[in-house]
Amino acid sequence: MEDEIRINGTLVWYYTFCPREAWLMSRQMTPDEDDENVVIGRFLHENRQPRGRKEVEVGHSKLDVVRRDSGTLVVTEVKKSRHSLKGARMQVLFYLIELRKRGIEAEGELVVPEERKVERVVLTQEDRVKIEQTVEELRALLRRATPPPPKRIPACKRCAYGEYCWA
Amino acid sequence: MGTSVYLFSGGQLRRKDNTLVFESPDGTKYLPVENIQEIYLFGEVDLTKSLLEFCSQKEILLHIFNSEYEYYMGTFYPREHLNAGHVTVKQVEYYLDPQRRLDLARRFVEGAARNMLQVLKYYRNRGKKVEGHLERIQELEGKIPETAEVPALMALEGNIREQYYRAFDAIVLQEDFQFDRRTRRPPENHLNTLISFGNSLLYSAVLRETYKTHLDPRIGYLHTSNYRRFSLNLDVAEIFKPILVDRLIFTVLGKKMITRRDFDAKLEGIYLKESGRKVFVSEWERRLGTTIRHRSIGREVSYRRLIRLELYKVEKHVVEGEEYRPFVAQW
Repeated sequence: MEDEIRINGTLVWYYTFCPREAWLMSRQMTPDEDDENVVIGRFLHENRQPRGRKEVEVGHSKLDVVRRDSGTLVVTEVKKSRHSLKGARMQVLFYLIELRKRGIEAEGELVVPEERKVERVVLTQEDRVKIEQTVEELRALLRRATPPPPKRIPACKRCAYGEYCWA
Repeated sequence: MGTSVYLFSGGQLRRKDNTLVFESPDGTKYLPVENIQEIYLFGEVDLTKSLLEFCSQKEILLHIFNSEYEYYMGTFYPREHLNAGHVTVKQVEYYLDPQRRLDLARRFVEGAARNMLQVLKYYRNRGKKVEGHLERIQELEGKIPETAEVPALMALEGNIREQYYRAFDAIVLQEDFQFDRRTRRPPENHLNTLISFGNSLLYSAVLRETYKTHLDPRIGYLHTSNYRRFSLNLDVAEIFKPILVDRLIFTVLGKKMITRRDFDAKLEGIYLKESGRKVFVSEWERRLGTTIRHRSIGREVSYRRLIRLELYKVEKHVVEGEEYRPFVAQW
């Protein structure tokens, strides 16, 4: 961890609603695997991917689905529910920036199969500044030796770290 | 959450396609692998390598007991699947620093003593003559902060436990189950046999919960790590022995669910027969599944879960510096 802080899209997503979760995840301190939502998430990840399409690695991130839609490259992020879509949007925007850094123009898409919801994500100049600022903050957080102490937020109720944080 | 399987008879346990099958003289039993988290082997059971590979892949722990004497022999602990190097490094850091190690070790002894006192207070309030033992434990408990090294702390812990076990006679009040003195490997009387059996079930349960955290069970603080056997689970088990194991013993004896007839005297020591083991294990499972209201988590948690929470607290102590405060029963 001292040598290099690896920022990826998932960390950006966690960071938008719980910096503590981002810190724990960055140390491979994964949450409770028996947690129902974790099990569902894993299932969605393994089973709801469109056939014949695979994860693509860009930098330290793994993109769920990448496809071509009438000439445009589309990056898809699959989520279980709409609860954290604002953060998920940041995650996709981060991917789009990472791709652009490599000279690839793409668009994003958020998919919530449970709710049959699809949302387009296009990168604007404004988003770019915002994401870069967020990534800087995240980097500073991850450099800390200990995570920020737990803070009660609505997400705690269904979070798989709930028992770890509040025990 | 996964279940535990207890196999009492002898036979062959093997992988069959994508499931487990146990063939014994009593018949063939299929074990639904997706739900199992651990298997206790009490009988003379043949295992194959492909079975071990399968268990590792499915993250199933195998606890092995010597089939003749019911000693706990060891656990087949599958390849770590929750690796977090950062946590291991922190765990070692606390182990190597004598002050930090002693501090954590004291917390385990402190928690154990507090829970012993809770158990004795419960029985004092029910008119059992345990007052003298209670006072002596309180006295000894006061010396925990004075210990300067882990071995001295271990010795003090031994004295506390000795006083505590001596109170058992006043609680159990049965000729057949006198405490006398603590003996193990082999236990030399009936009460010692129950204590040993109960403790080994607890050690395995804590080990199983440890597997679900990022902690390395080989690095303990009160019990010395020698990198051959597990010791963190022994530390954490100290907290729970009084409230889980000892209370269970009082229940099965008080209700005469286990009597002298459930034991065998062998060449060296006293052993629980299959009848006794079955009663004990089913009561044990019932107890682990019992739920209590947990204040900071805000809902009911089972005792099994409480063990996991205790481990999380240890993890937070070493990773985040959040002081570990052992669980103390409120009743």
